[in-house]
Amino acid sequence: MLSFLTPARRGSGLGMAMPALLLLLAFFVIPVAGLLSRSVTEPVAGLQNYETLLGSATYLRIFFNTFLVSGLVTLITALIAFPVAWALAIMPSRVAAVVFAIILLSMWTNLLARTYAWMVLLQQTGLVNRILMATGIIDQPVQLTNNLVGVTIGMVYIMLPFMILPLYGVIKKIDPAILQAAALCGATKGQALRRVLLPLATPGIASGALMVFVMSLGYFVTPSLLGGTANMMVAELIVQQVQSLLNWGMGGAAAFILLVVTLALYALQLRLFEGRAR
Amino acid sequence: MTSPYLHINGIRKTFGDVVATDHVELEIGEGEFMTFLGPSGSGKSTTLYILAGFQDPTAGDIRLRGKSILQTPSHKRNIGMVFQRYTLFPHLSVGENVAFPLRVRRASQAEIATKVKRALSLVRLDGFEDRMPANMSGGQQQRVALARALVYDPPVLLMDEPLSALDKKLREEIQYEIRRIHQQTGVTILYVTHDQEEALRLSDRIAVFNRGRIEQVGTGPELYASPATHFVADFIGDSAFLTGELAEVKNGRATLRYADGTVLTDVPMHGVGARGGKAELMLRPERIDLSDAAGPQGASLPVTIEDVTFLGNNSAVTARTGWGDPLYIRLNFGHPMMGSVSRGDRLHVRWQPQDAHAFTKE
Amino acid sequence: MLMNFDKLGAWRWILSGICALMALFLLLPILFIVALSFGNSRWLIFPPPGWTLKWYGELFADPRWLQAAFTSAKIAAIVMVLSVAIGLLASLALVRGRFRGRAVLRGFFLTPMVLPVVIIAVALYAAFLRLGLNGTLVGFVIAHLIVALPFAIITISGALETFDPSIEDAAILCGASPWEARFRVTLPAISHGLFSAAIFSFLISWDEVVLAIFMASPTLQTLPVKVWTTLRQDLTPVIAAASTLLVLLTVVLMIAAALIRKGKSR
Repeated sequence: MLSFLTPARRGSGLGMAMPALLLLLAFFVIPVAGLLSRSVTEPVAGLQNYETLLGSATYLRIFFNTFLVSGLVTLITALIAFPVAWALAIMPSRVAAVVFAIILLSMWTNLLARTYAWMVLLQQTGLVNRILMATGIIDQPVQLTNNLVGVTIGMVYIMLPFMILPLYGVIKKIDPAILQAAALCGATKGQALRRVLLPLATPGIASGALMVFVMSLGYFVTPSLLGGTANMMVAELIVQQVQSLLNWGMGGAAAFILLVVTLALYALQLRLFEGRAR
Repeated sequence: MTSPYLHINGIRKTFGDVVATDHVELEIGEGEFMTFLGPSGSGKSTTLYILAGFQDPTAGDIRLRGKSILQTPSHKRNIGMVFQRYTLFPHLSVGENVAFPLRVRRASQAEIATKVKRALSLVRLDGFEDRMPANMSGGQQQRVALARALVYDPPVLLMDEPLSALDKKLREEIQYEIRRIHQQTGVTILYVTHDQEEALRLSDRIAVFNRGRIEQVGTGPELYASPATHFVADFIGDSAFLTGELAEVKNGRATLRYADGTVLTDVPMHGVGARGGKAELMLRPERIDLSDAAGPQGASLPVTIEDVTFLGNNSAVTARTGWGDPLYIRLNFGHPMMGSVSRGDRLHVRWQPQDAHAFTKE
Repeated sequence: MLMNFDKLGAWRWILSGICALMALFLLLPILFIVALSFGNSRWLIFPPPGWTLKWYGELFADPRWLQAAFTSAKIAAIVMVLSVAIGLLASLALVRGRFRGRAVLRGFFLTPMVLPVVIIAVALYAAFLRLGLNGTLVGFVIAHLIVALPFAIITISGALETFDPSIEDAAILCGASPWEARFRVTLPAISHGLFSAAIFSFLISWDEVVLAIFMASPTLQTLPVKVWTTLRQDLTPVIAAASTLLVLLTVVLMIAAALIRKGKSR
């Protein structure tokens, strides 16, 4: 859309983009580029930082942990989010509004407050352990914090809204008449679910899953509070290298790997879903 | 006594305080093309949804070949349906869409292949198997939907305003196709529309819906020639209504008196009218003649011409009765009065006695 | 009929059940901290043996908590103003501008949202070490502005896209100058977008942890940094009290947002 009266000069409007552009160049592009360049210049020029990172079992373990936790978190949130989003799309709107309010409340509650709640709930003497013991599922308190179990639980808690909301958007747009047609065609509920509803919801599941996976890969706060130092993920590795060890080369290299994976998945997301939407 | 093929027996459906349909009673014969005609909110779609099993009636029953189908869930009713909106499965090809009902019935590959081919051929879409619905026009999509609804030989095919999203030309083309498919397959069709022309063109019989009830059931010519109510007269064909006082009713014949003293006798009367109440005379513009001389008593009125508009194959004439009501007349090209009639002329309208109908006015 | 709740039969209860369990899973931890903040057990025993307000007393007795909250609010307010102003200009350029590479520029403006915050934090930390901006208010504001700006741009350009610029033309034909038309016609028309952008920007800065950990110094820290450092030492119930106040703030903001939305639709 273009205004008739303001003539369409070429290049017009570029000036208005300048403040944002300069800000991002000075305090985003140059610093990030600087960090990445240090991965091949420190301590000496070369690729030795990457060789160390990808050549040692300790560091590979960290990448493995990161992908494992992100994958698990994605899988679990998808399994919960699909029925929830589906229910929200067809429930009486008053009930749905209550559930939405709870989702938004949890989303907007301070991240540290939520993580704190899980640290308390999951500790050795915490409520979760006591309930599990009281119901006879376990005899001894199990270790639920300072390991990947705690990280996974805490991250599922944080990521659930990011999966439910886009998936809800996709399911809500499906015309109920298409499922009525499926029923009249003779499909049982199971057949209609498998052959019609799930395929139609797949774009939403895939796009939500990619988003949750990408966000999980670079997450720092929850893994470092619930995971402990023995079960590091990539974001913690970067911080540790830079803050505790002052090893900017290694930190930069780990950041570079994380950045490449993130941007690649992001590009995949754009290709898969933006193209279709237009 | 044999039971009717499809019996809609006293269906009533309420949503809270709103009555959607009330005492809908209809018998439909095997192979019949029955249309539910009415304005939106008249209960025609609700009746169809109850047949499909999308809604449960508050009271009443639906019997197919004498057996109630209300307890059967939609997916076991074996009924075919074409919807108002495009409801092809967007992730499946045309071939897979049509194959869907057969796949969920676990038909063999060979059976699926032959039946899909036959169904697509029936709607003249041979060779479209691999197309995706998104790459087809609305008319083509609805034809695929028709093939999908017919591929499992349903005892009844429901069609819920299937052409309302299409433009006029395409609509007429597919109406013709639907007629041909009905004749070719002999399937019983229940068709919902608010378009009287579509209803007249397609149906064996029409049920006219208004405010949740059926006002009249009959063939198109029956509804046109002897409408049972004001609503039917107004909905099917063009009509003019002249309101006057009911002077007398005897043996289904009425005498009407108008403000300027005009009296019309021996008009066929519908509905119960009390002497002294109001009644209206219904005339069809194309069934009225214009003449210099008055006709027989009860089938003629003096009028003053107000306006004449030439429309090609006919002329639309606006006249005013002695008591001031407007009356529209259509003169076909070649009518002796066509060139001569002009504004201000005092003439007489005349009609055949069986073309006029009187209705009580509430 | 899977999209008709009344026709789902037994499935209806399964779906409702999963939905209810999920809602409890999201809600209970929040209620749990609220309860703990009033419990008198230092070891966070649940249900608490008794009730007390002493954790709130400790919270307000420690000036560092209040100071951190004040710093957070100050930074968030500055970030909010700058983010809306710069975001508005950038959105006008993206939606109304006529220059090559607008799509690329848009993608570029949104990248800080996609990149892991850790990378931005470490990179800025290194840059600020040289510029001497670590531990300064300016440093905090810049860092938070970088991550808040994409959200402001998305929200404002979304509002601008739905606004028909020919209305601005109509104002100009009525005699307004182009900038006057922008101020008097366009800005009021997209005010809901500006308002949402302001709230987003404020909340992003107010809640932000990772960047803040890097920017903070012993003398200048935000509320999340204070929570973070305390959390790493022990799980004191004082944090439950602080968290409860944060939850309360969230609830108040959500109700305000709901009321504004209701007022707008009327």
